[in-house]
Amino acid sequence: MTTLKTLTVAAAALFTTIGAGRAEQLIVNSYGGPYEAIIMERIIKPFEDRTGITVVYDPVGSASQDYAKIKATKGRPGFDVAVMTASQSLDGCRDGLLEKFTTDTVPNLAKLNPAVSRMAGECGAVHEVQYLSLLWRTDKLKAAPTSWNALFEQELKGKIILPTFQNIMAANLMQVLSVKNGGDLLENVDPGFKAMAVLAKQTIGFEQSSAVMETYVKGGQVWAMPYWNGRAQLLMDSGVPVDFVKPTEGTIPLIATLNVPVGAENKAAAMKFVDFFLEKASQEAWVTGYKVGSARSDIEVPEAVRSRQITTEGDLEKLLLPDLSITAAKLPEWGDRWEREVVSAAN
Amino acid sequence: MNRFLAGLFWLSLCLILAFITLPLLVVVAASVSPSSTVTFAPGDWTLTWYSAVWTAKWLDPFVLSLKIAVIVSLASGVLGALGAYAVAYEKCPGSDAIMSFLLSPLAVPQIVKGVAIVLFLSSAGFYVFLGTSGLIAAHIVLTLPFAARMIATSIHNFDKNLDRAAQILGASKWQRMWHILFPLIKPGVFSGMTFAFIISFNNIPLSVFLVRPGQTTLPITVINYMEYSLDPVLAAVNVASLIFILATIFLFEKFGGFSAQIHGGSK
Amino acid sequence: MTIAETGSAATRLRRRFALRGYIPLVPPITFLMIFFAVPIGMMIGISFQDSKTLAFSLGSYERVFTDDLILAGIFRTMLMSGLVAICVTVMAYPVAYFLARSTSRWRTVVFALAIAPELAGVVLRTYGWLIILEDRGFINDALIWLGVISSPLPLAKNLFGVVVGLTHVVLPFGILALLTSIQGIDPNIEKAAQILGASRASVIRHILLPLSIPGIVSSLLISFTMAASAYATPALLGGARFKVLATMIYEQIMFYINWPLAAVMAIVMLVMMLAISFAGARIETRLHKKLNV
Repeated sequence: MTTLKTLTVAAAALFTTIGAGRAEQLIVNSYGGPYEAIIMERIIKPFEDRTGITVVYDPVGSASQDYAKIKATKGRPGFDVAVMTASQSLDGCRDGLLEKFTTDTVPNLAKLNPAVSRMAGECGAVHEVQYLSLLWRTDKLKAAPTSWNALFEQELKGKIILPTFQNIMAANLMQVLSVKNGGDLLENVDPGFKAMAVLAKQTIGFEQSSAVMETYVKGGQVWAMPYWNGRAQLLMDSGVPVDFVKPTEGTIPLIATLNVPVGAENKAAAMKFVDFFLEKASQEAWVTGYKVGSARSDIEVPEAVRSRQITTEGDLEKLLLPDLSITAAKLPEWGDRWEREVVSAAN
Repeated sequence: MNRFLAGLFWLSLCLILAFITLPLLVVVAASVSPSSTVTFAPGDWTLTWYSAVWTAKWLDPFVLSLKIAVIVSLASGVLGALGAYAVAYEKCPGSDAIMSFLLSPLAVPQIVKGVAIVLFLSSAGFYVFLGTSGLIAAHIVLTLPFAARMIATSIHNFDKNLDRAAQILGASKWQRMWHILFPLIKPGVFSGMTFAFIISFNNIPLSVFLVRPGQTTLPITVINYMEYSLDPVLAAVNVASLIFILATIFLFEKFGGFSAQIHGGSK
Repeated sequence: MTIAETGSAATRLRRRFALRGYIPLVPPITFLMIFFAVPIGMMIGISFQDSKTLAFSLGSYERVFTDDLILAGIFRTMLMSGLVAICVTVMAYPVAYFLARSTSRWRTVVFALAIAPELAGVVLRTYGWLIILEDRGFINDALIWLGVISSPLPLAKNLFGVVVGLTHVVLPFGILALLTSIQGIDPNIEKAAQILGASRASVIRHILLPLSIPGIVSSLLISFTMAASAYATPALLGGARFKVLATMIYEQIMFYINWPLAAVMAIVMLVMMLAISFAGARIETRLHKKLNV
């Protein structure tokens, strides 16, 4: 009898939570941790104040997990806007799972750098550009590194960590090293894998989670590693003695996008949000808040921020820009090679 | 020989319990460590991480996980008992095949079950079930086999002569079920429901696909937080939820006789 | 004529009785049909698709049975799960026996200890093991400090680490499975045997073990399946070098978005588990016959 009562009470409570709240709202799927605090303050609060729309924030899942969820639900994952990357934007457009943007629905799209915008296709609105940087412990390394070569130095033997292949950083690092050693970004990547196999001997291992990689840096077991500059900056700001550099040989950007699944329930609000995020003022707030680059070249940010970010046409031209749909198609083959040539070469 | 065996028994019991507690101690130590990373460094301690636990960010997912786990464990107890009764007690023809079917969800990796259930609900147009109700159904798929197997195991040990004796003495079918069968299989039902509760409360692979924005379970909140920062707040959250559940068990023990439930069969 | 009539009436009666026996099965079977069989049927359908064109293809099956990386993963899964099943059952038995037989107040404490770790979350607990087992972890530091070893032992990021971590995760389930079974054994049988002069060892050998076979089989099967389908622990403690089927399936679903391949790997796992549980059931009945009693 008591169990029956508990069941009824629990079920009733559950259904009230499910049914609650039907005012105009928007569900935004993004990331958790310190990222959440910054996006709340810089973008979501101002958006709510201006439009009166209530934003429900959903920090669940990485970009590829979000995409898997969109695919499984056939475009109705429960959120209206997802923060993913250009490669999911291309996949989603091809599979018909993501809404196409036009300058009618998202006027600010016209203000973005066309080359970067094109990389994300019609279904992705580029709201942020990061790059693969070289992160290093300032108290452990003798001199500030400027080149990817630093990772291969004797000094760093057993002092670096690499991502597993399920972290897109791995493929990007291989591509950068391929170009550096005379190969190219997509077809002739043998030099890249050869270099990675050498690098594997330097590592203490491979980790999938960025947070676990960071823990090794914090603990001092790892002195250098490849890392996205946005998170490198967050780590630096948290007081860990680290710095990061955009190596002279060039690097690959991470093109982050806003996406709207085809089955989004609050599509109009979603479009408003995407456009709001791309506004000049929002982009400035985001670039100075999360300390990343922007696809808008007309934003005005302090020189100290600008010098480390990708914000100008000039910065953009120096990047290595692989075709992301070809990269995505190559991933299974490269993943296989990674297991055979890189992981097995590690100590 | 007998003394040696008894000594060996106690020694192994202690070692096994030490093995169980060891990583837990690391987590507890991390939760009171002043260092901002999850490490094991005895010495200074602090309770500051626990203050972060008492916020809606962690409490809401905890309460949701608890509700889901309670519903899941009750439902798998009922469904598992029905299945196990037909298979192990009535021994209806084909009971081996039916038991295999009841156990078959165990053989499929959870992540595949998660994708499959979401795909099915979406393809069939049952979009309303995507979310917490779908999540509950998915958890029951996962826990029902455990409950069925546990209860069937306890029915295996059931001495049917007791039942026959009662029948001869004129007890009705329902009387026999309630007074003879149920008390004897209670440990199985109890274990099965404990299984179900724990599995649901901890589940990640199924929940990843089925949580609804704004209604996130505790383990999913933990892994999302972990992707950005691996700090002692996580340890504090886990220890706090553990303490809460143990305290609940303790209260049940005090007022309801929890161990009487566990030991229902041996008296 | 009349005999035949009564005969068929009796059959009909028996059939009606038999059918009544199936009624309790309606809710659980219906539930599993809707939320398990149909969805998994869909996944089986997907396994015959090409990952790009969605046309009919046996490509994923071919790949699973020819790709040495995947075959190695299957082998690792079986080895790992087998070891975990044995470790769990061996370690769970004394605890379950104590819980079933003891009347001391420690029983509740031991029960709480046995179940508690499970409520502290899998991910963080596994991370706790990493802190204990890694090269500069607790155990290696202690052993180096004591001078037992000079360079760290490889305890994590390999089979050993995964088996330790998974045994810890699965152990409470093994305990519950065995507890359920041991509780069903009448303690008076043991007492009687002892009074009649049987040694403790022969009580274990001839009474306890045979009577707890259903529990042992339960524990082995449950541990094996839980270990084989676990994702977080092998991913964290096994690392890049020790990939099992479950981690590979997860990667295909979440990262490569190649669901047909994931579906085929899942089918391989399904067949493997069904074979094992079938074998378990056969062994159970055979042992029963042999040892009975």
